[in-house]
Amino acid sequence: MMTRGSWSLLLGPLGFLLMGLGVLFLQHSGGEFAVERVAGELSYLPWLLAVIFLAVFIHALLLHSRPQPDIWLFPCVMMFSSLGIVMIARLKPELLIPQLRWIIIGMVAFVVVLKFGKVISRFVQYQYILGLSCLLLLCLPLFFGTEIGGSRNWILLGSFRIQPSEFGKILLVFFLAAYLSDHRQVLSLPNLRLLFLWLPPLRFIAPLLVVWGMAILMFVVQRDLGSALLFFGIAVLMTYMATGSKSYVFLAVAFFCVAAAVSYTMFDHVKVRFDIWLDPWQDPSGTAYQVVQSLFAFGSGGIWGTGFAHGHPELIPEVHTDFIFAAAAEEFGLIGSLMILLTYVLFFYKGLQVALGCRTEGQILLAAGCNIVFFLQAFIILAGVTKFLPLTGITLPFVSYGGSSMVSSFILLGLLVSLSRKEQKNHG
Amino acid sequence: MAFVIKAISVGLEYGMLLWLLYFVSRSVRYIWKDMRKMGRELSREEKARDGEAVLTVVGTNDQRQMGRRFALSEELSIGRGPDNDIVITDTFVSHHHAVVFQRNNLYIIKDLGSRNHTYVNDRKLNGKAYLRAGDLIRIGFLTLRFER
Repeated sequence: MMTRGSWSLLLGPLGFLLMGLGVLFLQHSGGEFAVERVAGELSYLPWLLAVIFLAVFIHALLLHSRPQPDIWLFPCVMMFSSLGIVMIARLKPELLIPQLRWIIIGMVAFVVVLKFGKVISRFVQYQYILGLSCLLLLCLPLFFGTEIGGSRNWILLGSFRIQPSEFGKILLVFFLAAYLSDHRQVLSLPNLRLLFLWLPPLRFIAPLLVVWGMAILMFVVQRDLGSALLFFGIAVLMTYMATGSKSYVFLAVAFFCVAAAVSYTMFDHVKVRFDIWLDPWQDPSGTAYQVVQSLFAFGSGGIWGTGFAHGHPELIPEVHTDFIFAAAAEEFGLIGSLMILLTYVLFFYKGLQVALGCRTEGQILLAAGCNIVFFLQAFIILAGVTKFLPLTGITLPFVSYGGSSMVSSFILLGLLVSLSRKEQKNHG
Repeated sequence: MAFVIKAISVGLEYGMLLWLLYFVSRSVRYIWKDMRKMGRELSREEKARDGEAVLTVVGTNDQRQMGRRFALSEELSIGRGPDNDIVITDTFVSHHHAVVFQRNNLYIIKDLGSRNHTYVNDRKLNGKAYLRAGDLIRIGFLTLRFER
C-alpha cells in the first residue's frame, strides 16, 4: 500500500523551513559572511539538524512499519511545525532554540506513543481512574499555580513552566471515550422528558455535568477562557458523536448561553472581550489594541502578502503564541493563509477517516476525540484572531510557541496515527 | 554583491510560497486518490455480496450500523464476545448469543441459550428455525433482515 512518491510529502515542509531560515539568514547577515558572525547567526543549527533528522527518521519509520499507519498526517504536522519555526525565528529569534527543543521532545513523545499505541489505547478500560486523574491534574494549578499573562494555569517545575490543562485535555479525551463507549446505550435510551428534550436518568449524565462544571471552574478561578471553551466543546461534541442525540447539544448550548450571560455581567474581563468583539474601534489603542493590530495585519497582507520578513506583525502583542496566524497572514497573504486553513481542513478530514476506520467504539471515540481537540483549538483561535468570535487565548496546534501545547499535541497525534493502523477485519 | 543577495532572498521568499502550494496540491492529490480507492473498494464489496444470502441491519439504536450488510457463509456467529462474526456491543446480548449456519442450501438460525432470547418475526425462538427470505431477527436492540 506504500504509494510511490510518499517521500515527496515531506519535501514541502522541509523546503519551506530551509528557505524561510535562508531568507532570515541573508537578511540578518547583511552581506557579511565573517566566520564568527555566521556562527553566531546559525547557533540554532545543531537543533535544526536534529529536528530534520528526526522528521526523516519518523517518516521512514511510518513508511516501513506494518500494518501501515497513515503516512500523511505526520508530514502535514511537519508543515505546521515548519511554519511555526519560521515565524518564530522571524518574530522572536531568542525563542527559536526553545521551540526547536520542544519540537524534538514532542517528536520523541510521538515515537513513544506510536510504539506503545496498542497498550495506551487499552487504558480506555479504566474510565474512573482516568476521570479522577484528569480532575486532579486540572485542579493542581488551583493550589500550586502561578499566574502568567493573566491566567493562573501554570505550574513551575524548576526552570520548566508547564500548563497542566494541556495534558488534562488528553486525559479528558480518554475519559470521555471510555465513559461514553461504556454508557452509550443508556445515554441514548431516553426516559426523562423535559419539554422537548429527552434525557437519561440524572446519575448517568452526572460525569458529563462534572466535566462541564470543571470547565466553568477553570474559567472562573483560573481566568483561562480558551481552555474552558475547549474543554466544554470537547465534552459536548464527543457526547453528540457517541449518542447522536441532539438533546445534549440543546442542553449544552442553553447551559453555555446562561453561563455566558452571567459571566458577562459578573466578570470584567469577559465584558471587555465581548465589547471589543462587537466594536474594536471604541478603544483601538487600549483594550482592543491586540485585535485591531491583528486586523491591520490581515489587511496589509492583501492577497499575495507583504513577503516573508517584510511585514510588521511584531506590532501585535503576543504575536508568537496566540496571534501567529495573523503574522503568517500578513506575510503570506490571503493565498498563504487559505493554504494553511485548507491544510487544517484536510487534516480534520483525514483524522475523521481514521476514526471511522477503527474497530471498537472506544477507539473510534478516542480517535475522533483527538481530532476534535485539534479542530476546536484551531477553530477557537483562528476565529478569535480574525474577529469572527470573541477572542479567547489558546495556542494554534503545532504552530504557536509553547512547550506544553507542542508536546501534548504530538502525543495526541501519536495516538491518532497509531489508531490508523489497519488491522485484519473479522467481518463485513 | 548586495544585488545578488537581494535576488537570492526574493527567490527564497517566493520559494516558500511555492513549497506551501506544492505541499497543499500534493496533499489534495494524495487524499483524492485515497478517496477514490476507498470508493472502489466499497463498490467492489457491495457487488461481491449481490446474489448471496445476507443479513442486513434494519433496526438499531446506533445510526452508524444502519443498513450494514453481513454476507452469510458456512456459519455466522452473533454475540457480544469479540470472537463473533457479528459483534454487538449491547448489554442485552449474551457473549455467544446465536448462530446462523447453512445446511443444504438452507439457512438455520440457532439460539445458543441466550439470556434475553432471539426473536424471529417477533416470536421467541426456541432452539432452531429455518430462515426464509424477509425474516426479521431481533437480538437486543438490533434487528436484522435475512435476504437472499
